[in-house]
Amino acid sequence: MLQPAHSETGSDRYLEVVGVGKAFRGTKVMSDLDFRVGQGELVSLLGPSGCGKTTLLRIVAGLTSADRGDVLLDGRAITNVPAHRRNISVVFQNYALFPHLSVAENVAFGLRARGQAKDTTGPSVREALNLVRMADFADRRVSALSGGQQQRVAVARALIVEPVLLLLDEPFSALDRKLRETMQVELKALLRDRDMTAIFVTHDQDEAMGVSDRIAVMNAGRIEQFAAPSTLYAQPETAFVMDFVGLSTRLAGKVTDVAEGELRIETAYGTLRGTGTVPVGARVTLGVRPELIQPQEGENTLEVTLADAMVLGSKTQLHGVAQDNDRLLCEVPGIRTGLARGTRLRFGWSVADTLVYEAEG
Amino acid sequence: MRARGDRIGFLAVPGLAFLAVIYALPLVLLLFRAAQIDGQVSFAEYRLFFTDQYNLNVLWRTLRVAFLTTLLALIIAYPTAIAMARARGIWLSLFLVAMVLPMSVGVVVKAFAWSILFRTRGVLNDILMSLGITEMPIRMLFTETALIIGAANVFLPFMVLPIYAVMRTMDGRLPEAAVTLGAGPYFRFFHVTLPLSLPGVVAGCAFVFSLAISMYVIPSLIVGEQQQTLSMMIARSFLYLRNEALGATISSVLLIIAVAVVLGSSLLAARLGGQR
Repeated sequence: MLQPAHSETGSDRYLEVVGVGKAFRGTKVMSDLDFRVGQGELVSLLGPSGCGKTTLLRIVAGLTSADRGDVLLDGRAITNVPAHRRNISVVFQNYALFPHLSVAENVAFGLRARGQAKDTTGPSVREALNLVRMADFADRRVSALSGGQQQRVAVARALIVEPVLLLLDEPFSALDRKLRETMQVELKALLRDRDMTAIFVTHDQDEAMGVSDRIAVMNAGRIEQFAAPSTLYAQPETAFVMDFVGLSTRLAGKVTDVAEGELRIETAYGTLRGTGTVPVGARVTLGVRPELIQPQEGENTLEVTLADAMVLGSKTQLHGVAQDNDRLLCEVPGIRTGLARGTRLRFGWSVADTLVYEAEG
Repeated sequence: MRARGDRIGFLAVPGLAFLAVIYALPLVLLLFRAAQIDGQVSFAEYRLFFTDQYNLNVLWRTLRVAFLTTLLALIIAYPTAIAMARARGIWLSLFLVAMVLPMSVGVVVKAFAWSILFRTRGVLNDILMSLGITEMPIRMLFTETALIIGAANVFLPFMVLPIYAVMRTMDGRLPEAAVTLGAGPYFRFFHVTLPLSLPGVVAGCAFVFSLAISMYVIPSLIVGEQQQTLSMMIARSFLYLRNEALGATISSVLLIIAVAVVLGSSLLAARLGGQR
C-alpha cells in the first residue's frame, strides 16, 4: 500500500510505448513513460484534464511526435511512421465528421484515401453502417444527425479500414447520461466481436470502469497504476488512485506507533489502526471505501456528526462533518430515512480494509 | 419582441436613404438614358454597341483581364491564407498588417509603383539584364500581362481575407481525422481542406472579379489608351466624346455583368454553405 517503485504493465505486448517523453514549449508533459497493451484488450487512460492522457493517445496515433522514446506495434517500431500509414483509427471527441460529405461518404473516406474507387466502396460501407445500425441514414448529411448517431457514424468510419488499433478520445462526453450508458454497452460488444484492440481516453471513471479490461490511471504525465477495474478499486496503489477512482472516506493523519506490522495513526477524529511499512512520525493519508464502513462500532471506530444523508435509491450515503480536505463517507444499502442532520453516529470498519499512503512532500 | 425587431429595422434608414439618393437614383437615370432615344424607349443603343467589333474586342479583353486577374490572385492568395490560418501571435499580426496596410496606400500610388518596376529601364529589366537573362530590355509596361500582375497585386487582400476567414473557423480536427483514416497530404487537401474552404474561395473570386472588371485607374496607368477596357470606354464616352448614350449603355452592360457575378456567387456560396 506504499508508493510503487513502478506501475504494473501488461504481460503481452501488442502495443508498446517505451520511455516516451514529451515537452510543449519547455514544459514537460511526460517523461520516460512506459505503457503496454495486449492484443484484443480494451484499455482506458483515465485521469484529470492536463494529465497527459490525450498527448499519449496522439503520440500513439502519430498526430504528435514524441521527443524521446519509441512506439512499437506487434514488435515493429512505428515511431517514425507517419500517421496516415499507421492504420490506427481515431474516434475524436465530437467525432470530427466531414460536414461536406454525406454519412456514406464519411464512412467510405478511409477506403477512398487508400485508393479504392468510389463505385466499389458500396458493399463495405453498407456493412459498416449495418454494424452500427445506421444503414437507413446513408444519404443523410451529418449535420442532420443526433449526437448518438454521429458517434455511430464515427465508429463505422473508423472500423471500415480494419485498423490495427482503435483510439477513442472522450468518445461519450458529448452524449447525455442515458445514451452514454447504452452506447458504452453497444460499443464494447462491437469491439469484442471484432477482437479489436482499443484505447479509450476519458476523465470519467464510470466510463473507464464500464468499457475496459484494464485502466491506466494517469496523473501529471505518469501512469500511477495500470490494472483491472476491480483491482484499482479494491487495492489502489496510491492516494491519487484511491481518490480518483471511486469514493472514499479520506483522512490525514500521523503515524505514532508501529507494532507487529500494525500502525497506530493519529487523526483529528481519534486514533485509528492500519497496516503497512510506514515509519513512525510519517504523515499519511488514510482511506476506506464507503461501502466497507458500517454505521456501528468496528475494529476502527469514529464518532461522527451527520452532515447529510443522501438517499440515492439503491443506496444511502451518510456524510459526516469533516475538516480541511478530509472526507467522512459511509454507504449503506437501500433507503435509510429518519437520519437528521446533526445526529451523532459511529463509523466502524476493519483494519484490513484500511488503506494507508505516506503523504508526499 | 416583434415590434421591437421592427423598430430596430429603422436603424438602416439613414444608410438606405443615403444610398437611394447618391447611388440608386443616378443609376436609374443612367439606365433610362441608355434605353431611350428622343423620349422613346429603344434598345437601338445596345444593338449598336454589340454590332461594333471594336466594342466586342474591348468587352472580351475586359472579361479576360478580370478572369486572369482573379485566377492569379487566387493562386497567390490560397497558400497565403493557409499560412495565415495556421499563424499565431506576432506572425498573424504581421500577416494581417501586410494585408491591410497596402489598402491604405492609394491605388494610384500602387499603379505608379508597378509602372516604375515594369518600364523599359525599370527595376525588373535592370535585374533581368544584369543577370544576363536578356540582352535587351523586355517590353512589359503597356502589356496585358503587366496589367494583370498589377491588378492582382492591388486586389490581393480581397482574395486572401475571405479565404483566411473560412479557414480560420475550420475545425482543426477534420484534417487530423483524414490523416488517421489514411489520407496522405494530396488526398487530404483535395478532399477535405479545399472543399471546406470553397465558400471563401467563391467570395474572394466574386470580390476580385467585380473589382477587376470595373477597374479604371490601374489600366489607365499601366496599359494606357491603346488597350481600352469597358471602364476606360465609359470615361472616354462621357468626358471626351460627350456621347452620354454610349457611356450609359456601356455602364449598364458592366452593371449587368457585375450583378450576375454577385448573384451567381452568392447562390453558389449558399449551396456550398448549405452542405454543412
